[in-house]
Amino acid sequence: MLITGSSRGIGNAIARKCAEAGADIAINYRRAGGTSQAASEALCREIQAMGQKAIMVQADIAVKESVKKLFQDTAEKLGRLDCLVLNAARAPFKPIHKLFERELKQLVETNYMGNIFCIQESLSMLEESSGKIVFISSLGSRFYNPAYPLGSMKAAMESVVRDSAETLREKKISINGVCGGIVKTDSFKVLRQYWDNIDMLPEELFVEPDEMADVVLFLCGPESRGISGQTIVVDKGLSNSLYRPSGK
Amino acid sequence: MSQNLITEEKVMEELKKAIVETLRVDEAQIKPETSLINDLGAESLDFLDINYRLEQAFGMKMARHFVLEHIEEIYGEGSAIDENGQLTDKAVETLKIRFGENVPELQPGMDMDEVPAMVTVESIAKGVMDILNSLPANCTKCTHTEWQTDNGSHLKCGSCGEPAAYANGDDLIKEWLSKVQAENNIF
Repeated sequence: MLITGSSRGIGNAIARKCAEAGADIAINYRRAGGTSQAASEALCREIQAMGQKAIMVQADIAVKESVKKLFQDTAEKLGRLDCLVLNAARAPFKPIHKLFERELKQLVETNYMGNIFCIQESLSMLEESSGKIVFISSLGSRFYNPAYPLGSMKAAMESVVRDSAETLREKKISINGVCGGIVKTDSFKVLRQYWDNIDMLPEELFVEPDEMADVVLFLCGPESRGISGQTIVVDKGLSNSLYRPSGK
Repeated sequence: MSQNLITEEKVMEELKKAIVETLRVDEAQIKPETSLINDLGAESLDFLDINYRLEQAFGMKMARHFVLEHIEEIYGEGSAIDENGQLTDKAVETLKIRFGENVPELQPGMDMDEVPAMVTVESIAKGVMDILNSLPANCTKCTHTEWQTDNGSHLKCGSCGEPAAYANGDDLIKEWLSKVQAENNIF
């Protein structure tokens, strides 16, 4: 199983959860020598201590050659790929109309093209295993979120999920998504700088990374065989109700 | 106005605490000249975390964007970073005014991705002090002129207790850029 951007946050929780369930894990991080690499090393040791195989692959999904190497390394070291989790994301935090051209390019190159590069490079291995792809989305794909241009890329990718579910059907590869609400990860630290008083939302509306990971594990398993091209919302009901009782 | 209720020592103490908690490094590794990226392995999200902790500690808003982004927002895309992602002559001239001449790596053609490595413990502390020194002379609520602090990090009005309303970090950078432009006519 390969999880892009898995050193921290949701990706890290997915890696642990799936390792606990018996998967060998390829951990991917973008930047060598930083805190992501250190976090990946710690995660790798943790998974190995569970008795599973864990490898670390440094790769920037925005760079096609880097993605090729990511999948080559995964193939060489894990031998097979049953699940690909598209979790990596990278984006500036500012309103869309203020994005510079280079920021727009980076936004698309990582969060759209990069994910598609990963899908393309995974196909031969996933076809062999009749494998699964799970894309990690967020509510920013459907609702306004301050200074969050990434939401538009998440929306595009949810469309890719629907499209690819049909075109990959003949290869017996399934693809679905998991759309998180307000998940308390490192990215939340960014969100709270643009969303005044977000800390005052009731605790019951915050999603734990582990709750995302549970749904990803389900979608990676045989019990999800009836689901195709869907993006399942995991938001503790945040997007389900206009009504909030006072104090909630 | 310049204030003297929150000391530079207090700022450094809170900054070190934020860095230790975010990056999980030993406090002994943190010197004024320490680069958070090169010496402590910080990444972009780590800066946001450190900023957030400082904001909580002092009740103010750090800059969300670096000087280069502000230059381009004011003077247009390409004014600070060229199409190859490298610093322009004008960007370097501006950054040298901000960071001093004593930064040898700061040259036209420097890759924009290398710029964040120039952020040191000292430069963050200075950014915090600049914000704290934007303390208005009068309370915005009752116009009283006396500020006080109970804990050495949060200022409040000595009369009505209203928290101090500092300028935010981004506005201060923009203000600084206007002043630099007026004096040097770079752009």
